[in-house]
Amino acid sequence: MICEYRETVLKATNVSLTLGGNVILRDLNLEIRDLYRPAYVTGQVVGLLGPSGIGKTRLFRILAGIDRPDTGEVLVGEKCEPVKRGMVGVVAQNYPLFEHRTVAGNVELAARAAGLDRNAAREKALSYLQRFGLEDRAGLYPCQLSGGQRQRVAIAQQFLCSEHFVLMDEPFSGLDLIAVEQVCKLIAEVAHAHELNTVIVVTHDIAAAVTVADTLWLLGRDRDEQGKIIPGARVKKSYNLAEMDLAWRTGVSETKEFIEVVREIRSVFPSL
Amino acid sequence: MMSAAPAPLSAELRKAFLPNRIVSSKAMQILIAAQIAIALLIWWRSPFEVLPRPDEVARALGSLWMNQGLGRELWISFTSNLEALAITVVIALVLSYLTVLPVMRPVVTAVSKGRFIGLTGLTFLFTLIFGGGHPLKISLLVFGMSVFFITSMASVVAAIPREKFDYARSLRMSEWQVVWEVVVLGTADQAIEVLRQNAAMGWMMLTMVESISRSEGGVGAMLLNQNKHFHLAEVFAIQILILIVGMLQDYGIAFTKRLLCPYSVLTLERQ
Repeated sequence: MICEYRETVLKATNVSLTLGGNVILRDLNLEIRDLYRPAYVTGQVVGLLGPSGIGKTRLFRILAGIDRPDTGEVLVGEKCEPVKRGMVGVVAQNYPLFEHRTVAGNVELAARAAGLDRNAAREKALSYLQRFGLEDRAGLYPCQLSGGQRQRVAIAQQFLCSEHFVLMDEPFSGLDLIAVEQVCKLIAEVAHAHELNTVIVVTHDIAAAVTVADTLWLLGRDRDEQGKIIPGARVKKSYNLAEMDLAWRTGVSETKEFIEVVREIRSVFPSL
Repeated sequence: MMSAAPAPLSAELRKAFLPNRIVSSKAMQILIAAQIAIALLIWWRSPFEVLPRPDEVARALGSLWMNQGLGRELWISFTSNLEALAITVVIALVLSYLTVLPVMRPVVTAVSKGRFIGLTGLTFLFTLIFGGGHPLKISLLVFGMSVFFITSMASVVAAIPREKFDYARSLRMSEWQVVWEVVVLGTADQAIEVLRQNAAMGWMMLTMVESISRSEGGVGAMLLNQNKHFHLAEVFAIQILILIVGMLQDYGIAFTKRLLCPYSVLTLERQ
């Protein structure tokens, strides 16, 4: 499929992190560039895959500006500014929301945090609720929502606040196949609503990641000559699914290429 | 479509003897009425001769109210308790919320340990600081309630998971905004629940405090006086009155919680 890569929208350079004497991340480099497709509005969906305990959550926190790395930096946006909290939205695994506020109150709070005044924030919140199909849930409290609805509120809130960047932590965790498909559809809808929208999905669900992403990064650790693990994760392999013609295709999961890629990733996963 | 017929009352009452069942409000009213009746019957038929009977207590209550100014004493105690409670809420909440500052944590921990100290032993010190009468009574009550309130609320604040802080931070909030949204507003329902428990403790302490500082009167002083003369019917009457006022206060606070924090009861099984 014809596409071209334009300016960098997120870049991590030489990111390293050590916690309690354990090297978690080591000289990690990654870059996301604006993917342009003529006649389409195309955001970016990047899947960050890796086995449990590899350091995905730590990288997630660094990319979101919640934690600082020991070395290296993360730059985001068209102006490539150093990441600060709030510049990259975070949708955590269990979709935390302010339980003491209604759905509309939660979304409005995010709009206020983004710098809008009360009236503008209310209007913006309403438009986002409509966009995410939540207008009839505006007056409910988060505890009255289903898991899927909570997820949508969380995504709406984070996009409202951070403009174009959202990190999602294990969005497919504990979901059945139909629900995974629905979440993939939602991620694609959200990402392709604006050219600069970028969704980074941190997951260990290989098939779901290949379905929704245009780029995949595999996080893993190197081994020395004796086969011993060198501490500290980094991006060991990446897949450009757009170039492989596996991105943005309906029914991609039925294709032979898709199955082959999933199989290949599965085979390298244990060695990561 | 026809709606399902409500279960017969007998079936509703049978459910009351099975675990984790929810009964209708009518069935619950019957259960409460039956239990009160049983309690009254046990009291009436009690083998302890010295125990005043319900009719004696009712007569004593009438006499105390009409002739001995029980209403006025109750008002003194009620307003004192409310005043002490208001001061306690301010002190305890401010100190508990301030545990977000590491520098305040040792201070709050030390204050919370005050719950092991008896009030009687502190009377002398408090008299020196606050003088006697009303200020002494209020200060003792505030101390007595604050140490428990602070302990409970500081635990509530300490138990907030990190993800809630991170979530608020991801919405570009400053650390003080995070404190307001996550610590203050986010625990409001629990703060009201802690307040409810401490308001009840206030009544328990009040009678003791009013027996220490008697110059202003109050039901505690009256209770002590009646107890001294072994007027058991009067003692029971005052205790029952305190119980009724305390229960009304409890319902009032629970109602306020539902009103201000409706989300706190939405997912409870017994709703």
